[in-house]
Amino acid sequence: MNDFLVELGANPAARQAIKKIGLPLSLPQKLKRSQSPWDEHPIADLPVFVHHSKESQLAPYLGRFLGKLGADITIFGDRQKAAPYQDSGEAYGRPTRTELLEDSKPYGLIFDATGIEEPSALKSVYEFLQPWLRPLRNCGRVVLLSRPPESLSSPAAVAAARALDGLVRSLAREIGGKGATASRVVVDKGAEANLEAVVGFVMSERSAYVSAQTLHVTGKVAPLENVPYRKPLAEKVALVTGGARGIGAAIAKSLAREGAHVVLMDRLQEETAVGKLAHELGGTMLLLDLTDPEAPKRLCELFDRKFKGGLDIIIHNAGITRDKKLANMKPELWDQVLDVNLISLMRVNEALLPQLREEGRIVCVSSVAGISGNMGQTQYAATKAGLIGYVQALAPSLADRRITMNAVAPGFIETKMTAAMPVATREVGRRLSNLVQGGLPEDVAEAVMFLASPGATGMTGEVLRICGGSYLGA
Amino acid sequence: MKTKSNTTGRRAVIIGGMRTPFLKGFGDFTQVSAIGLGVAAVRGLLAKFPMSDKDIDGMIWSGVVLPSGSVNVGREILLDLGLPPTIEATTITRACTSSLKAITMAAASIERGEADVIVAGGGDSVSNAEVKMPASLIHKVAPVFMNAKSKPMDYLKLAMKLDLRKDFIPQRPEVKERSTGELMGQSAEKMGARNMISRQAQDAFACQSHHRAAAAVSCGRFSEEVVPVDTSKGKRVFADGLIRGDTSVEKLAKLRPAFAKGGTLTAGNSSPLTDGAAACLIMSEDKARALGFEPLAAFRGWSFDAVDPADQMLQGPAISMPRAAARAGMVLTDFDFIDLHEAFAAQVLSVLKMLGSDSYARVHLDRDKAFGEIDPQRINVHGGSIAIGHPFAATGARMVTTMARELKLSGKATALLGICGAGGVSAGAVLEAV
Repeated sequence: MNDFLVELGANPAARQAIKKIGLPLSLPQKLKRSQSPWDEHPIADLPVFVHHSKESQLAPYLGRFLGKLGADITIFGDRQKAAPYQDSGEAYGRPTRTELLEDSKPYGLIFDATGIEEPSALKSVYEFLQPWLRPLRNCGRVVLLSRPPESLSSPAAVAAARALDGLVRSLAREIGGKGATASRVVVDKGAEANLEAVVGFVMSERSAYVSAQTLHVTGKVAPLENVPYRKPLAEKVALVTGGARGIGAAIAKSLAREGAHVVLMDRLQEETAVGKLAHELGGTMLLLDLTDPEAPKRLCELFDRKFKGGLDIIIHNAGITRDKKLANMKPELWDQVLDVNLISLMRVNEALLPQLREEGRIVCVSSVAGISGNMGQTQYAATKAGLIGYVQALAPSLADRRITMNAVAPGFIETKMTAAMPVATREVGRRLSNLVQGGLPEDVAEAVMFLASPGATGMTGEVLRICGGSYLGA
Repeated sequence: MKTKSNTTGRRAVIIGGMRTPFLKGFGDFTQVSAIGLGVAAVRGLLAKFPMSDKDIDGMIWSGVVLPSGSVNVGREILLDLGLPPTIEATTITRACTSSLKAITMAAASIERGEADVIVAGGGDSVSNAEVKMPASLIHKVAPVFMNAKSKPMDYLKLAMKLDLRKDFIPQRPEVKERSTGELMGQSAEKMGARNMISRQAQDAFACQSHHRAAAAVSCGRFSEEVVPVDTSKGKRVFADGLIRGDTSVEKLAKLRPAFAKGGTLTAGNSSPLTDGAAACLIMSEDKARALGFEPLAAFRGWSFDAVDPADQMLQGPAISMPRAAARAGMVLTDFDFIDLHEAFAAQVLSVLKMLGSDSYARVHLDRDKAFGEIDPQRINVHGGSIAIGHPFAATGARMVTTMARELKLSGKATALLGICGAGGVSAGAVLEAV
């Protein structure tokens, strides 16, 4: 599905002409995305400005990996905090600057707000960000780091930490027009070792359609040592339900690209599509209806027989919509959606849990509809909200096996489903987000790939929205 | 780390080496092909170390800009020299480390007992780099021309399909990285910036290289290593053409950046595109003594490695040199000489910085302490590629020859060699006097 405005906006001449004429058109910025295989330097040679205050606590952790990820770092605020950056800077040939280079235009702005104890100290956030928002590059990144407000003791500290939430959400709207995103990363005390993968993801081009989000980094699952940067999923077995087309197919491609053996599961009607993709990815095709009462048993048998009794990654992607206002809805439409999207999904999940190997990953594809609601989607939104509850409730019990479980909630994604919408509805859906455009299935796939990666131990029991900062939804 | 094991107890030794003068690309050697340059170098070598043709077991040659019609350049050199056609020849390619690789392959082959006498070396003629027509043209034309059933109408259709702009502009040969699309100089420019190597430091190092090479030339140090070459125009070239003994830091400071606006790399502190070839004679120690040759040196260890070409492509020697030393059971203070290929002054100084960094050693070499601080004035006693020139595949053999002779002339014991190369490959080697 082509978005005419995005194509038009990619043409600098047209962009300027429209501005000159004064047309009331906000042209979306074509997002920079990356679908190449993961490598050691996701943000190679991009200028990143980092602010640490005297009281801030994260410099020793960020210093260890930001240079390694390839950033060209300049330290603001307390210059003493540059010390932890120097060692890795030397090792990776990425010297950290404390003096600004002339004409430097930042790609990333990172503010370490840990240690802010009262609202008056928020002035330093203003002072750091304000001069750099205009020069911020197209498709740049702003990341604010803090402790979770609920973990702080004094009401003033909680207020200050919580204030960042409103700030990020509004800032994301302000810079969305140039394709840039703003995110908040809150990190539990003691979970700092889990920061690398999360910061690496939000700073990279792989989070192109993730904006105005809070990512919560916990220490519930201990970090792994020597996580590979290339082919992180080598020798892993992944199950993707509903893998024939759309978002499911994109997810399967991303997982296979990073080395996973993907088992593509879909209904018998999708035989051709599944077969083709399974062949292309060197994966395994499994024609099985999720709602089949035999499904759990057959899945267990498959992994027992073919994959030495286990699997490493489960992506619950299969889902259906049967939209009708509740007042007009027939009972079978209610039952169908509830059965596929939640009841069968949970049944299969419970059955596979014993086979999921240590350090496994579960990602459920929910929806922004499950967070904000949508006209005509009562039963769909119910299942997608229920799924979030399921993830939040089940995740803690898996932590001691170092398994993480998360949900992603896509917003407006350009798929066959949205292409079939009436033009007006589609245009509204597209434009009502900070980035003024729809996302692509690949955007969801890259986020799922991040959550499925061995390094993503910091995120469990969380919901990650891939919605471009949709105006709808929390 | 794997260590080299010599199971036969045989030792390969370096008898000596010979090279053509190194000339700027498109200079007096323009009409001499890479094969012609190789012929001149090997002829010079065999003239200096005369022996029966029957004693030569094989040839391992190397090249970077290989002529596509006759890729096994080594074999062509043998045939052109009129050597017995029964001598086998191989040609390998490994960017700027090519001829060092060829020489170590010869040594390994001898130590394995496969051969007693091998000529190893390499050479390149950038003046004869092939200018290619676009693949799109070939892909359109070939199916019609190669099909016996093509009718006049097919030729007409083909003529209609051809695009003047796209299909007829030849591709310019460039020192460009295939995977990243970067010119080598751009990679080095980035490396210099990241390791904070100043323009002044680069110019000072380049100046040192020129002055040392000029001093070596004027005292005749290279005359035993360089063979005169006759060009097709009847001119006899006796000496290297790129060395500037009269250059100074002030003169170099006036040059404009060559690879980036506001950059620090110039034509003066980078190695130039060069034509030339170099060859070494490698023998088993017993055979050398039997033939009455006096060996100069032998390899005590080597290491061939590679790094990500997208990230500090030319940093490899900072990994290969410590590894080669470790395989030889040696540390920095054990070495009398250090010879580091000078692709760019920025690259040399970056590598020296990495070799002196504990943090770098921890991450890249899995050891707690750095290999050691090395003063730039300590390395390359007779200058290097910036001054002498750099025919890609000849540089390794030039370095081996100069260092092996230096050990003999000075009576010192050991030398450490390091070379970086395109694609992120690198090499390190330890020479010991015999």
